[in-house]
Amino acid sequence: MAKKKKVAPNALVRRSSNSRGKHVPQSTIENTRTYTIADYRLEKPSFNIRQIRKDDEVRYEVTGDLSTPAPPIRESKYLDKKQCLEIYRWMLLNRKMETALENLYKQGKVVGGVYFGLGQEACSCASAYALHKEDWLGPMIRNQGSLLVRGFSARDIMMQYMAKAGSPTKGRDASSHFGDIEKRNVVAPISTLGDLIPVLAGVALGARLQGLSIAVMTYIGDGGQSTGVTYEGLNFAAVQDLGLVLFVENNLWGYSTPANMQFRVKDLAERAIAYGIPGVIVDGTDACQVYDAAHEACERARRGEGPTLIEAKMMRMKGHAIHDVAEYVPKSLFEYWRKRDPIARFENYLVSVKKWLTSQENENLIADVERELEADRDFAVASPMPQPESAAGGVYCDSNCHRIRPKYGVPKVRVTRSGIAAPRETTVHLR
Amino acid sequence: MPQLTYLEAIRQGIWEEMERDPAVFCIGEDIGIYGGAFKVTDGFIDRFGPERVIDTPIAESAIVGAAFGASLTGMRPVAEFQFMDFIGCAFNQIVNMVAKAHYRWGAPAPLVIRGPSGGNVHGGPFHSQNPEAWFVHAPGLKVVCPASAYDAKGLIKAAIRDNNPVIFFEHKYLYRRIKEDVPAEDYIVPLGKARVAREGRDLSVITYAAMVHVALEAAEILAKEGIELEVVDLRTLSPLDKEAIAETVRKTNKVILLHEDVRTGGIAGEIAAIINEEAFDDLDGPIVRITAQDSPVPFSPPQEEYFLPKVSDIVREAHRLKAY
Repeated sequence: MAKKKKVAPNALVRRSSNSRGKHVPQSTIENTRTYTIADYRLEKPSFNIRQIRKDDEVRYEVTGDLSTPAPPIRESKYLDKKQCLEIYRWMLLNRKMETALENLYKQGKVVGGVYFGLGQEACSCASAYALHKEDWLGPMIRNQGSLLVRGFSARDIMMQYMAKAGSPTKGRDASSHFGDIEKRNVVAPISTLGDLIPVLAGVALGARLQGLSIAVMTYIGDGGQSTGVTYEGLNFAAVQDLGLVLFVENNLWGYSTPANMQFRVKDLAERAIAYGIPGVIVDGTDACQVYDAAHEACERARRGEGPTLIEAKMMRMKGHAIHDVAEYVPKSLFEYWRKRDPIARFENYLVSVKKWLTSQENENLIADVERELEADRDFAVASPMPQPESAAGGVYCDSNCHRIRPKYGVPKVRVTRSGIAAPRETTVHLR
Repeated sequence: MPQLTYLEAIRQGIWEEMERDPAVFCIGEDIGIYGGAFKVTDGFIDRFGPERVIDTPIAESAIVGAAFGASLTGMRPVAEFQFMDFIGCAFNQIVNMVAKAHYRWGAPAPLVIRGPSGGNVHGGPFHSQNPEAWFVHAPGLKVVCPASAYDAKGLIKAAIRDNNPVIFFEHKYLYRRIKEDVPAEDYIVPLGKARVAREGRDLSVITYAAMVHVALEAAEILAKEGIELEVVDLRTLSPLDKEAIAETVRKTNKVILLHEDVRTGGIAGEIAAIINEEAFDDLDGPIVRITAQDSPVPFSPPQEEYFLPKVSDIVREAHRLKAY
């Protein structure tokens, strides 16, 4: 990338050639265009993370103001009391399930690692909450809360991590790598990043061919958005006006690499300009902001107006996975974002600001979630491992294992004439 | 019975499936008003509309991803690659997203990825490849390589009706060079079944796609010397018709494996292993491989001719095998 040079204002002219080959100077001012990025946040954090060499060590340093108190929750334009309490319960379930998974890991009951969405529960749960039954979701590894909202149980996710016979993939894949095309409309993610984006766009395309505009939601991180398939998928959705809602979860770290080593734009929402679609920034630790942006993007999708890119800003509050203690993250950053814990903020909003929940009701709700989790955990732990031979079979869909039919109705077929048209006589490439 | 070229047969097969099943649609680069780089979908947009004949950006991963997504809603997409050489751009979508879907999470992916492959048209290193073996190595995919117009139509229709992802390699050298009787009525050629393209008693050539025609030409020459070549056209590389492979070996006891793909890691190595497992006792001589050399496909005609397997290679190797 070319570095910006300081130039005198009168030198700011662009030269373009006309048909006679003469250079015509054009003022940059009259050619300036402006674009709008909606920003729902009530605070705009101002700090930078960069690599520095100190003594004999290269490490990350954070500069800027980390002393500001957490802002209030932004009043939702759409959510009522009942909905807020439901989202809050999903967030509690999301977090407490992950705590239970961490304990199961320490007890040696988890196969492989555990991926956490700690600090990102508002983003997962409030975004998926904006989907309707006929809409679709494609989660990433940390969006376990989204899967709960979509109708899977904590038991399902726990059994995935423990590789049990009764897991949604019957032991064949781990973590959030499962889906359901019949009832819950969830596409199973794969480990490589950005690949769900064209797939979800294709789901919207399939539904549109069957006469229904739906919202399809998926996620990408500040790291994953660097991939080529992210561009291909979102650009395809944009040119086809497909109802894709892409949450760019900017959690500041792609494994150990900070966001400023992934991209040069100030905010990832600016990427939307290059796709010709709306871009929105939300505070990813504020459930109301996340929901409002998701709801508006889903409504736009259902109206057939095309995709929306929503950047949710927050921080991944653990390492990449359970093995990673994230020593590379400056401690002051953890302290800053701990004050912005999405659950503590939402709890305070519901209990102290809105008074929709008394302390006692809150305690009862938490106890209820814990009871549910305990039952799910006990069930998952007690359930059997798969038989070794169950690894065989299922590579192909045999003639009888699925009845494939359009999900939303028979596609409308335009009939203009019958019988095959004769091909035109024409020249072709590489005859 | 109408005479159709290989290309017209594929075109008619897709057209008929779109007439038959409203869930079938086409997606790819320049397939709409332009009708595709090779004109396979010429006229489709006028008949079926831009909704079902979708021109995309130049974005192969998006094409495969979108086709897969649409298939999850019960559609049957037919995705065109302008050249199969470009399939590498979508490799991850195909082998990680699509191929594993049914095994991992029980999602069927009834989609077809089709396009022209193969050389002998002086297309150079990026418009001549035979990348079929890459996909034979990915469980969950089916790989089809038709050699005749009749098969091309019957196989594309079977591929569209199949509940699994099918990679359909159309040999571009055959597009307008072969013409044969193709029935007007509906028929399919089942995936996974080889055919005997020419019966013979002395030795077998197991091959597919354009090389079937090279083998048939060699068989004519050898017949004049009294050597009867059996030519087996595999038609489908995944699943492989192991029974047909074993059967021809049991019959002739000598076998040449022929393909236009490069030698190392090509399907011939796999077939040799199958013969070893299924019909070792029936062999009267070494298994012979005739393939392209291990290099990119060269551009200049004399170099490409050197690169590609030839009739004379088969005649020479047949003479050598006859001595056993």
